[in-house]
Amino acid sequence: MRIAMFAAGAAYVLLCACGGPQTSQANNSQANISNESRASNSASASTTSNGMAMLAAGPVSGQQALAVMHQRHEGMETIGKTAKALKRELDGSSPNMTAVRAGAAQIADLSRKASGWFPAGTGPDVGKTGAKPEIWQNPQDFASKLHNFQAAAATFNQAAMSGDVNLIKAKFGELGQACKACHDKYRSEMHH
Amino acid sequence: MTQPVWDLPVRLVHWLLAALIAFSWWSVHNHHTDWHIWSGCAILTLLIFRLLWGFVGSSTARFSNFVRGPRTVAAYLRGKWAGLGHTPLGALSVLALLLAVAIQVGLGLIAQDEDGIYAGPLSRLVSSDASDSARDIHELWFNVILALIALHVGAIIFYRIRGNDLTRPMITGRAVLAQQAVPMRPAKWWVAVLCLAVSIGLVRWVIAGAPPFGS
Repeated sequence: MRIAMFAAGAAYVLLCACGGPQTSQANNSQANISNESRASNSASASTTSNGMAMLAAGPVSGQQALAVMHQRHEGMETIGKTAKALKRELDGSSPNMTAVRAGAAQIADLSRKASGWFPAGTGPDVGKTGAKPEIWQNPQDFASKLHNFQAAAATFNQAAMSGDVNLIKAKFGELGQACKACHDKYRSEMHH
Repeated sequence: MTQPVWDLPVRLVHWLLAALIAFSWWSVHNHHTDWHIWSGCAILTLLIFRLLWGFVGSSTARFSNFVRGPRTVAAYLRGKWAGLGHTPLGALSVLALLLAVAIQVGLGLIAQDEDGIYAGPLSRLVSSDASDSARDIHELWFNVILALIALHVGAIIFYRIRGNDLTRPMITGRAVLAQQAVPMRPAKWWVAVLCLAVSIGLVRWVIAGAPPFGS
């Protein structure tokens, strides 16, 4: 009786080891991410220095700071909504490629604008925001993560234009991991 | 003299459920949303198994053996109840916990994160807005589960103070009991394996997004 139940327990563990579409996709994207960032480094080098420049630029204050924070919030919310719609398309059996291309272009466009969303003086001490103060304590690390996001958004946009569904899904997975890398470290849970 | 009260499946479900609820909480607060979703799928497997075991398991595991009306609960509170397994009052706690966890898993299955990175396996069956609402309620509903856990642990401490250790029987499966109690009638081990196979099969179907049969 007991041995049989432990065997059943082992069968249970196997269920978790079986893996599904979501985990395998995440694994693939992690395997690909280093290659990808190497390939796109030279192409987006200027974006990096822009990002660094924006972070290093003189602090903003008053109405200007609030305007930037509002723009950042709206931009991030649009990126999130677009990504959710994209995930729904791409998880389906026959994604609407017109919608995928439009969404990918929109995220790529907003990702470039994100270089201007984090000047000093737009932290949680100024107003309600999910941006953690750590962003301005580690400007180099933050700028590099922002750059990774911009590169991933550009690569995903290129993939979307190619029309290759498997490539699009892989690049969308990488984009998600780029979002997550920054959010895990620099976004607080008070961002709603 | 001790005698069996809880069979191994009941005890395994109990402790795995406790561990997985803790793990689900920890993983989602440490940015491991993928692990959180897998943990939820594991909890769903446990819930389906426990439901089946509640019909075909050992006597003390069966709902027919412990789900009772308010009159029996009142009689128990007056000290007029002698039986084996869940007390009439404890049974309410068991049902509340199972129901609350089932609702939580159901919400998680249709929820999506706010970044479009992770989503429950059934999220595409509802609209994006519904998935977002499900996530918000999923977050709030955890407080209901926490309250029930607090009540559960509080009751165990209360009985312990009165000299009745409920934790040990949930580990060893055996307890000292009133002599007039009817002994536990254990179910066959292969019935448990069958229940487990059915629950794993059902959960795999859910993980696949609940595709229609025959397609």
